Amino acid sequence: MRYVKLPKENTYTFLERLKEWGRLYAPVKISEKFYDFREIDDVRKVEFHYNRTIMPPKKFFFQPREKLFEFSIKDAEYRETLEDVEPFVVFGVHACDIFGLKIMDTIYLDELPDKYYKVRREKGVIIGISCMPDEYCFCNLRETDFADDGFDLFLHELPDGWLVRVGSPTGHRIVDKNIKLFEEVTTEDICNFRDFENKRAQAFKYHEDWGNLRYLLELEMEHPMWDEQSDICLACGICNTTCPTCRCYEVQDIVNLDGNTGYRERRWDSCQFRSHGLVAGNHNFRPTKKDRFRNRYLCKNSYNEKLGLSYCVGCGRCTYFCPAGISFVRNLRTIMGLEEKSCPPELSEEIPKRGFAYATGIRGEDI
Amino acid sequence: MSENPYLSYDARILEVKDLTPREKLFTLRFVDPEVGENFSFKPGQFVIVDVRGFGEFPISICSSPTRKGYIQLCIRKVGRMTKFIHRMKEGEIVGIRGPYGNGFPMERMEGSNLVLVAGGLGMAPLRSVLWYAIDSGKYEHIWLFYGTKAYEDLLFRDEIVHLLKHGNAMNCSVKLAYEIESPSCIYLERGFSDRVCKGVVTDLFRGEEFDVENTYALICGPPVMYKFVIRELSNRRLSPGRIYMTLERRMRCGIGKCGHCIVGTSTSIKYVCKDGPVFTYWDALSTRGLI
Repeated sequence: MRYVKLPKENTYTFLERLKEWGRLYAPVKISEKFYDFREIDDVRKVEFHYNRTIMPPKKFFFQPREKLFEFSIKDAEYRETLEDVEPFVVFGVHACDIFGLKIMDTIYLDELPDKYYKVRREKGVIIGISCMPDEYCFCNLRETDFADDGFDLFLHELPDGWLVRVGSPTGHRIVDKNIKLFEEVTTEDICNFRDFENKRAQAFKYHEDWGNLRYLLELEMEHPMWDEQSDICLACGICNTTCPTCRCYEVQDIVNLDGNTGYRERRWDSCQFRSHGLVAGNHNFRPTKKDRFRNRYLCKNSYNEKLGLSYCVGCGRCTYFCPAGISFVRNLRTIMGLEEKSCPPELSEEIPKRGFAYATGIRGEDI
Repeated sequence: MSENPYLSYDARILEVKDLTPREKLFTLRFVDPEVGENFSFKPGQFVIVDVRGFGEFPISICSSPTRKGYIQLCIRKVGRMTKFIHRMKEGEIVGIRGPYGNGFPMERMEGSNLVLVAGGLGMAPLRSVLWYAIDSGKYEHIWLFYGTKAYEDLLFRDEIVHLLKHGNAMNCSVKLAYEIESPSCIYLERGFSDRVCKGVVTDLFRGEEFDVENTYALICGPPVMYKFVIRELSNRRLSPGRIYMTLERRMRCGIGKCGHCIVGTSTSIKYVCKDGPVFTYWDALSTRGLI
């Protein structure tokens, strides 16, 4: 990998130069407490030390609402509506969000790639930035705290600038074109980089092994936590919309007032909604709020086979933004017996069935 | 521009046939002959039907790949979109994309006995298997156990009655069960009292013997049916790996993107549209929520 140094005094010039590569998006402070990726006009507004943005960067590639086709019913006409996507630069993406995009890629860029996602992914430049975890972060447990690839450039903070890792041919071109802004990496920079990484590794709230989490989740399907926590859940779906790897969508045809022309639109869907598991004849595969609540935990903690990582990248958004104050991490730690009052004995004895009791209802006696 | 997987191809409705008051059989042909030629499918796969202005829905193909030049879809009127397509006439255009899903492993089952167990609308995907098996002649013997609510709900009545009469010549035994008595089924029963009975589909297993080492069971029907049929098959010691079943979910994309058909738990997430819709009973034993 190629390493260069961007001195602090050149940072804003560099940001200004990035605009030559496309529309620039970066995290800005949008209210007292929250940050979000916005288009940047004045580069001095860019936040380098933000905890997390409201929306993950998936919104640039898999848009919240997207027109797929236009049609005319009378003429049986049917047209693709993928307008030319302008190149753009997303600056200041944390490692967990880069992993989020890599997970999205495994789904949306498989054998049958999603064209709408693919075009945007090809046009987008990703520039990562190092961060210090807050109490909501648990990317170290998900092994997503350091991105090996999936970015064009990655900026690591040093006391007097940035150590820049170059991760793609586009990254090389950006550096080469602005080579006067960069310097060689010195021994002192390497020491500073190491110190930062060590400090960061210590800053996480939890240092434990979650290796058996997905088995425990499956074994503890009847744990009282599910009832308690799903009861206070508002089923608003904010955990899905802010999740960097949630990718369910709903498709709808919208007909204009003339009754003839219209368009097909897809938009983000949430598995916390009743409509998610609904099929023809009004049958619902996840009829209760508890079913839907548990489904998200199981889905997020399953493993992506292509990356060998869980679908949850540990960004902490679902906890940070939850209006009901439900803590994803605390609930998972309850399941793993790491929280106090994990398995209240007086309750656990009442639980009707635990463990691999499923399918027994349909199991013949002899198999 | 690269290929867009969400693009559907125009298909013309050649024929609409009433099967029952609720189900219609649509025979479709692609408008572009090249698309029609490249469209090859396996029994058990499904397509996404696109009615522009209304939306898309997944439907399994009920014609056999051995009958070329058209595809047939059996559609029950259950909701907004199926109600709309029921009003469509011959000559009108719908969009079709697919085929999707894994389908039944027909090659692996060659030379074996097939036991097809259908309940109600579950006959639709199994009809594809049935005619594929009969047309190809590569299978030892075929049993079709078909349970319906009433004789009036019997899908593909002409074909089924024809096989009931002449099936032996095609190595095919058909047995029917109905839950509600009506005058017409009494007429049917008179000729075939050993093969038509009042009851549920599991009653049809009575008196039938198959070589479990060389038999595959293919099941499709309402969710409640599976557990009784599987119990019946397990009692006969048919291996879970030899029991295939097809599942339904309402997929939006059909290609493992939209997430609506995700089943399973933290160790076994599966997409019904991509990894299924045909699963073995082993899969069901290790994936919670599959059936």
